[in-house]
Amino acid sequence: MITDASILFQIAGIGIIVALIHTILKQMGKEEIAQFATLVGFIIVLVMVINGLSDLFQQIKSVFLFQG
Amino acid sequence: MKWIGALLLISTTTWAGLEWSKKLDKRPKHIRQLINALQILEAEILYSQLPLKDAFKLMARQLPAPVCSFFNRLAMQLSKIDAELEVAWEDSVKELMLISSLGENDKEILLQFGRTLGQHDFTQQQKQIHLTITHLERELEDARDNQFKYSKMVKTLGFLAGLFIIILLF
Repeated sequence: MITDASILFQIAGIGIIVALIHTILKQMGKEEIAQFATLVGFIIVLVMVINGLSDLFQQIKSVFLFQG
Repeated sequence: MKWIGALLLISTTTWAGLEWSKKLDKRPKHIRQLINALQILEAEILYSQLPLKDAFKLMARQLPAPVCSFFNRLAMQLSKIDAELEVAWEDSVKELMLISSLGENDKEILLQFGRTLGQHDFTQQQKQIHLTITHLERELEDARDNQFKYSKMVKTLGFLAGLFIIILLF
């Protein structure tokens, strides 16, 4: 059950914009910077996902180990 | 409130992108003006044989905006009693860098030319002017290349960066 789907839209938006930036930079012949921009976008999304995952693991811990 | 902040952020980054691309667009124009100025200077030195102060005044009247004030300032500084050409030239070049879109390379070329000005006879001076014009033409080509390549990209990137930051903070 997903109560708050805004994080999904946020990640989707970041993906779209990073893809646009990548395309534009690549068209102008700045391959390295394009790769770098994609990497930065990926890391940002990764951090967000890891935050969500850590929340999930906390929940599981509190359910099965009876402690916060 | 959130939307106002988002709007402000996106307009700021877009504006920064536009400003940057304007600078890229203007550099070839300013370099062309400089080349024009040097050609006029050559004519003034070789044919009317005016002193530099009067030549600069005349050029300031003939040339368009940023380069015009450069020669105006130069003429004004040279009309002081203890004026020295090299010092006045360096000072005016610094001022020109602030109001025009010229780059570091152009500044170096101008400074080097300023050091040769008034040191030689007619033919040597003419050679120096031609050399400087050649250097500037090379820079012009470079600037035009950069304009073609980056001026559109910078505009789009400014807008996209704003959008990106807004989504991150949302």
